[in-house]
Formats: sequence, structure tokens, C-alpha cells
Amino acid sequence: MNNDKYLTVLELTKIIKMKFDNSTFFNKVYIKGEISNFKRQFPSNHCYFTIKDSNSRISAIMFNFNSSKLGFEPKDGDNVFVTGKISVYEATGNYQIYVEEMNTDGEGELYKKYLELKKELEKEGLFELSNKKEIPKFPKKIGIVTASTGAAIKDILNTIERRYKLCETILFPCLVQGKDAYKDIVKQIKKANEYDLDVLIVGRGGGSIEDLWPFNEKEVAYAIYNSKIPIISAVGHQIDFTIADFVADLRAATPTAAAELATPNIEDILLSIDNNINNINKNISNKILNIKNILKSINESYILKNPLKVYEIKKEKVNSITKDIINYISSIIISKKNDVLLLSNSYILKNPNIIYEKKYDKLLNLINKTEILNPLNSLKRGYSILKINNKSINTVKKIKEKDIIDITLHDGIVNANVINIKEDL
Amino acid sequence: MSFEEKLEALEKIVKDLESGDVNLDDAIKKYSEAMKLAKECNDKIKNAEKLVSKVLKENDTLEDFKVEE
Repeated sequence: MNNDKYLTVLELTKIIKMKFDNSTFFNKVYIKGEISNFKRQFPSNHCYFTIKDSNSRISAIMFNFNSSKLGFEPKDGDNVFVTGKISVYEATGNYQIYVEEMNTDGEGELYKKYLELKKELEKEGLFELSNKKEIPKFPKKIGIVTASTGAAIKDILNTIERRYKLCETILFPCLVQGKDAYKDIVKQIKKANEYDLDVLIVGRGGGSIEDLWPFNEKEVAYAIYNSKIPIISAVGHQIDFTIADFVADLRAATPTAAAELATPNIEDILLSIDNNINNINKNISNKILNIKNILKSINESYILKNPLKVYEIKKEKVNSITKDIINYISSIIISKKNDVLLLSNSYILKNPNIIYEKKYDKLLNLINKTEILNPLNSLKRGYSILKINNKSINTVKKIKEKDIIDITLHDGIVNANVINIKEDL
Repeated sequence: MSFEEKLEALEKIVKDLESGDVNLDDAIKKYSEAMKLAKECNDKIKNAEKLVSKVLKENDTLEDFKVEE
């Protein structure tokens, strides 16, 4: 008998398992149903259970890695939404769902509501970064909206006390879970806005999505959005953001973190004061050292070491100028002296009479010339002057017969009548 | 001057001095000012003994608040 065509059970199971594992459909399935036979194994913390509805059932396993992230403690009868992959457990040959995520029915509803509200508020601009207010660095008054008991307020106050005792805190106590908590939160955020606060912390400690739900309410979102005081949200949770976190000016993962974001650390401040003072000391010391060096170099300068030198240099200068002046003046004197010498040697100065003699000769000459030109002298020599009507006449053409003429001789005047005129001599 | 303003003033003096544009007279003036500011800030920190915590009561009054252990 040929045994070759017979598979072992394990071989068959492996082939079936491969069919599941290679299927993209079975790699991620979403199912809803009711939990039954829930068992958590210790110490591995893996969870084994069945998911069923009225007509069918499937085995389920959730490894510790995933079950530790559950927001609730599953129990028989819970209606759940499950995400996971389908595979085969070789030892039993059973197919089962390997659960990665599981939410209760209610949680699923809430989550859907959360997503819808988030989308709506985002559209309305409540999450806009440009609307975020700045958290002051050195707050004087910090407001806190949370429950007056519990870990959150304790953590916040301890943290502020440790970091920055210089400020003051005011707690605006409110409910942080339950159906009406959101009204309380809204009321206290508004109340806080009546006080002169620098920053407001709004939050609570961790919890399930139901516990945190008040921080996902629209009214809380708007109260945060409308707050004049910058708000740090502090809803303790790890996986998802609440709506409040998206609206707040700053988001902290825990109340402690919120208190840290709201305050500077006094140790850092002291350190920075020390650093600043060290810098200033160093700077001033350097400045003084510089000036000391300058003074030292001045003190060591040649002039200050030999003060007489200044005088000597000036004296030399005066001497040289004096010498120049004397030279200049002497040269002028010498040149003038030469001029004088030249002059004093001149012919004229040596023979001053020459000038007189020359002038006398000229005068005599003039006197002689005048004597010759004097008309009276001509009259003496027998010439006479003829005038008609007191006008000298030097041509016969100006004389007519019977004119009365005056004839001037050297010793008197004769009036005469013209009898005859004859041209040409 | 508030605590914050004093810290800022101190920072500014450091920056001014580091810029090197300050003559010695002014530098010494700034130096004593810085020492005064630093002392005031340190005193304020040292003298802050306990965080002042208040709580708003139902009747809108503020009372001292202490966390219940």
C-alpha cells in the first residue's frame, strides 16, 4: 500500500494554518459579540475567552502585550467590539481569533461620539494653533480646576511647591466624573476667569474612556476655548487625547506634568542667577584688567619715564625757530644793506650839484627862449601889430578900404583910415 | 519691579556688558545694580517658605487649602 499520499494531522493543520495566515482578510477582522468563559491566566496575564452571539461562537486569546492596554476589565456578558487576526492553534487544530484591541459596546459608542465631536470642533476652529495663548514663564497666580480630593490635586500642589513656591494657587473644586461633571467643570472654568490668574490647569487623574468622558464634552471644549486665561489640560491618560487636550493652549499627559509646564523650576532660576552673576564678575574683572594694562603701558611710556624730555623737545623746537627767525631777519637786513650801499654809491648822490646845475641850465635856456618869443621885442625892432575891432589882422584880404585900423607900435597905438589896398608886395 | 522683571533686568545687564559697548563707569554702575538685583531675587526665593494654596468655597470666598492625606 502506497502511504505517500497520506498527510499527517500536523501536516494538514500546518497547511490550513498557512491558508489563514496568508489571507489579508483573516489578518485583520472586526467582530462584535458577547464575552463568555473569560479567564485571565497567571502569571502570564494572557486572556482566554469565547466571543459569541445567539447563533455562533469563536475562541479568542488576547496576549498580555495587548490585554494590559485594555481600558476596562472584561467579564462574561460584556458586549465587545474586537479587532484581531484569525489563525490556527496547531496543538488542538482549532481556529481562533488573536485579539489585538477590544472595546466594550459602550466604549465603542463613546468613541464614535468622540470622533464625531472632534471632527465638528476641528471644523469650527477650536483646535487652531493660532488661537493658542502663551503660557507665562513666571506665574504669580495659578488656578486649578479639578477634584479637591484624589491624586491629581495632590500631585499638582506638590509639584508647584517643589518647583516654584513664589506663586499662589487657587483651587476651583469640581466633579471630574459622572454624568454632570462637565457642568461643574464648565462652571469652575468660568468662575476662574473672574480671578486674576496667569494660568489655569484643568484636569484629573487617569481612568477609562467613560471616566474621562466629561473632558470630551462640547460644553467643556467651549469653556476652555472661551477662557481668557491660558489653560493647560491635564487629563491623565496614555493612549488617546481628550477633546479638552485639543482645545487647551497646552496639553500635559498628567497632572504632575501640567504643574511642571505651568511653573519654572526655582533651582534653574537660582542657577541662572548664579551664572549671570559669574558672567558679570568675569566681565567686570576683564574690563578692570584691561584698564590696568592700559595704565601700566602708559606709566611705562618713554615720556612719563623721562618727563624732562618733553621740555627738551620743546626747547629744541623754540631754538630752531629762533634760529630761523634770526636767519631770515639777517638775510633781509643784508639785502637792504646792499640796496643802500648801491644807492649811496650812485653818481647822483655822490654829485648832488649835478641836479642843480642841470636844472639851472634848463631855466636859462627857457628864459632865453621866452625873450625871443616876446612880441614886444619884435615891435622894438620896428614891427607893428594891426588890429580891426580889436582882432589881429595878418592878411590884406581881411581889410577893406575906409576900414579904421589900430596899429600898435612898441610905445603906443595909432588909429588910421585905410586908403588903398594892394595885394602882392 | 516684579520678580520676573528683576530676572529679566539681570539678563539684560549680562547682555549689555557682553556687548562690550559699555564704558567702565557705566559698567561699574551696572555691576552694582546686578548685585542688588541678584540679592533681591535670592532673598525672595529664600524667604518663600511655603506655597500659598487657596480654595474657592461654595459661598464664593477663598479659604486656605490643604490636601487631605
